[in-house]
Amino acid sequence: MTLLAIISILFAGGVLAWLSERFLNRGSRRIALFSLLLATALLGRYWAYFAGDAASAGASPWWDSLNLAWIPRFGISFHLAVDGLGFLMLALTLLMGLFGLVVTWRDIGFRRGFFYFNYLWTLAGVVGVFTAMDLFLFFFFWEVMLIPMLFLIAVWGYEQRIYAAIKFFLFTQASSLLMLIAIVALVYLHYSNSGQLTFDYQSLLAAQLPPDTAYWLMLGFFVAFAVKLPALPLHTWLPDAHTQAPTAGSILLAAILLKTGAYGLLRFNLPLFPEASVAFAPVAMAIGAVSVVYGAVLAFAQRDMKRLVAYSSVSHMGFVLLGLYALNTIAIQGAVMQMIAHGLSTAALFALVGALQHRLHTRDMAHLGGLWAVLPKLSAIALFFAVASLGLPGLGNFIAEFLVLLGSFGSDPWLTALAAAGLVGAALYALLMMQRVFFGPLADKTGRIAGVADLHPRETAALLSLAVALVFLGLRPQPVFDIAEPSVAGATAKLTAAGLEGKSQALEQGLQTAAHPGWPESDRAGGETP
Amino acid sequence: MTAQELYAILPLLVLSGGIVILLLQVSFWRGHLAAAVTTVTTLAAAIYACFLVAATLSGGVGSRAVTGLLLVDHTALFFCLLLLLAAIAVAVLGFSYLQQRCNQKFSTGSYPEEFYILLLLVMLGATALVCANHFASFFLALELMSLALYPLLGFAVSGDLSPQRDQMHSLESGIKYLLLSALSTALGLFGIALIYAAGGALDFGGIAAAVAQLPQGPSLMLTGLTLLLIAVAFKLSLVPFHIWTPDVYQGAPTPVTALIATVGKGAVIALLLRFFAKADLFAVPTLTNLLAITAVASMLAGNLLALMQDNIKRLLAYSSIAHIGYLIVAFLIGNSAFGSEAVIYYLVAYVITTLGAFAVVGLIADSTLAQAPGGAAPIGNAASDPFQRDFYRGLLWRSPWLACCLAAMLLSLAGIPLTIGFIGKFYIFAAGVQGQMWLLLAAVVVGSALGLFYYLRLLLTMVQRTPEPAVATAGSVQIAISGQILLLSLTAALLLFGVFPQILINWINTL
Repeated sequence: MTLLAIISILFAGGVLAWLSERFLNRGSRRIALFSLLLATALLGRYWAYFAGDAASAGASPWWDSLNLAWIPRFGISFHLAVDGLGFLMLALTLLMGLFGLVVTWRDIGFRRGFFYFNYLWTLAGVVGVFTAMDLFLFFFFWEVMLIPMLFLIAVWGYEQRIYAAIKFFLFTQASSLLMLIAIVALVYLHYSNSGQLTFDYQSLLAAQLPPDTAYWLMLGFFVAFAVKLPALPLHTWLPDAHTQAPTAGSILLAAILLKTGAYGLLRFNLPLFPEASVAFAPVAMAIGAVSVVYGAVLAFAQRDMKRLVAYSSVSHMGFVLLGLYALNTIAIQGAVMQMIAHGLSTAALFALVGALQHRLHTRDMAHLGGLWAVLPKLSAIALFFAVASLGLPGLGNFIAEFLVLLGSFGSDPWLTALAAAGLVGAALYALLMMQRVFFGPLADKTGRIAGVADLHPRETAALLSLAVALVFLGLRPQPVFDIAEPSVAGATAKLTAAGLEGKSQALEQGLQTAAHPGWPESDRAGGETP
Repeated sequence: MTAQELYAILPLLVLSGGIVILLLQVSFWRGHLAAAVTTVTTLAAAIYACFLVAATLSGGVGSRAVTGLLLVDHTALFFCLLLLLAAIAVAVLGFSYLQQRCNQKFSTGSYPEEFYILLLLVMLGATALVCANHFASFFLALELMSLALYPLLGFAVSGDLSPQRDQMHSLESGIKYLLLSALSTALGLFGIALIYAAGGALDFGGIAAAVAQLPQGPSLMLTGLTLLLIAVAFKLSLVPFHIWTPDVYQGAPTPVTALIATVGKGAVIALLLRFFAKADLFAVPTLTNLLAITAVASMLAGNLLALMQDNIKRLLAYSSIAHIGYLIVAFLIGNSAFGSEAVIYYLVAYVITTLGAFAVVGLIADSTLAQAPGGAAPIGNAASDPFQRDFYRGLLWRSPWLACCLAAMLLSLAGIPLTIGFIGKFYIFAAGVQGQMWLLLAAVVVGSALGLFYYLRLLLTMVQRTPEPAVATAGSVQIAISGQILLLSLTAALLLFGVFPQILINWINTL
């Protein structure tokens, strides 16, 4: 029930925030803050598992789950569950949600109630995505989180907001329709073979699929997740969306929404289609490695600071794709760590760029320079997160990238070498950004430098807490690995089995013949008269 | 004709009785409100009659044939129910539409009561079409529906307070529909004649025998069936028989547009479903291939043509072409129980959503007319034309509830979760996967992606941050209480069946 409570609190908080702003003309921020804190506190109830009692949970892989019938006609249930991986993602979601809220406390003046409504609904959708263990429910939340995000970009964004919002939505929606087809086809095949009509994740893990079909279905899922991730040819929505979104929206996008793609790959793509994933792994690793380099090169070429950070996301998420498809525990653990570390560091960078934009009304690096003299606190913090982003040892990003490279080296040394070259690029663009914006002579092309205020204590506190978290992850990453370990082990076990099996023997031919043609008829007796 | 048979067509009798009563009432006592009340009462009584008949059908008897012309079964009653509910919504919309335009204070030469008589006639035709089991009743019902629709489409001409331009458009739409519909009816009639010549039967069951012995290659029977299919495709405005749709939708009074888009198409879909099932036409590959091609063409052409529309009614017209295309995907596996379930669910979603969208558009347009009494002035700039997209700029900030309703409708048309349209689309995907129709599914995906673009553009227009000060109606939009209740109930149904689809699935399966 705790999971349901978290989601409902966020949904209800959103509606309340809107209503209070509409009728009382104030209070929406406090309501948003309060509901987020409440949700985080509820999540804290899982601390016991985190502290190491996980073993006592017994055979069930879930720390907690809730299963209600929803649409029995199709075997769809309202199944929420959380395990180690889910807990990490939930914690990231809620804490980054809090961070985004606090750091942009004063940014929003226009229609504040509606803004926080969308903000909380996006978070609620993401929480749903990370906890849904029914494929239909997963898809449902996957879509629910998009609409409020669309509004965040389209209403409160910068100059090109409508274009960016529509592009963002079209990319994600069109790709997710492919995933919907893949989900329905998977369920249908499972039903044809076993006679059990269900969208439940655990049951579908056991689905036996003909190899060719599995490959196509896997691609259907992969495209949807790769767009979100984003991987190379499908990434073009990201720079626009990130750049045009308001600061809080960029933080949500970078820290949380991108992770849903990576999470989907790890949770659904690899375990559901292990053989197909093994077959596809070289391609995916190549896409990942190329994304790393390509993102870094493009980031290097940007003048717009926000666009630079956005392209650096492409680069960093390339490591995640590389690590996930290296298909071994070390690399996947690295990918999980990268998801968290990237969430923290990129969110902080977007917050900093947002703070600069708020003060100087420009993100163009050609118009900035020498800001250290006037904004020492902001500049120092920016330096920290810039070096975190380039992977300085001692910080979370380094651990993540190191593990990914270590793990993938065994799978494909050449691609790993290529990705490692991307690290050089990361150093280039991160340091170049520092040099252009914060060092050198003070360039006052905007005419606003005089009298500009340094970071507010509220912003400083929020940013410093992220910095502390990154240092903690860098010095003592083991707890994260321990939490994620069962989920990762579950995925790799299936993959190893598939890797061995897939080479030695093909699946039995009998699978193709359907025992149950057509969807089952609905239970006519079970209906009720209108 | 036994008493039992008469009882089975009780909804049709109630409607006929209502028409007679309304005619008499109007000839003795003219009154707009009274006519509207009689109409809604008749429709409600017909709905009640549907339930009464459904109750007699439950005990073992699945269906009841009435003189070989009509066949009343659970599915037919469910369609009747859906169409009658839609008609009530249209009546409410029509009341709001006519109240300003046929105001007796300003003019005495208008006859708003006619609208309701014609509406009931359309409904009689539609319910008869849903129950038809014979070409004679099929043709009669289709023609009754069409004949009543012609004057309705041109209704702005007799409700003479509409601006001159609206009257011209309305007349245009009436004439266009008349000419093209007559052509398609002629084709259909020719098709029926050919079928009779080849098969020697006019009832749907009798044709099945002839269809079963259909030889390979061209034959008289196949020609007849194809011609008939063309006539039906015209009514459904499937590409390439869709040319009339945007002009007719744009020109007609908005309630009539809603009527033709929901009742007009829903009844034909119901008939097509029964005809194909009874005559076992799903086994004829020529026909299913034809349908598949028109479905793909409708999805692509409908969505592509909608992309660049600035007029909301034209946009909805093109999007309705695309939606019928989606529906045909589910229809193509229709010989299984799942196929008809999918068709019915999608149709319910389509009817609710389309009604809602036209209701919002129509009510907003009515409210602007109220602000400019007389309203005869030609509409100059695009921003103050209530059917242009620019008029909706910043609507969310001006009247949030209305905008939320429209947003829900648009999201449902786009097939986004939490709305009934998503479940409908899910059914389409499930049907397509079962039928292994990957090409059609690809067309659905491409069509939906295209569709998203123009729905989103409208949606984002509504939330645009800088409302132009030039917009004359910068204030909030005031709509009547009856309209508000209608919108609220449509939105509630849309969300309820979108979040808890099992309720509707149960109803579909019990009926």
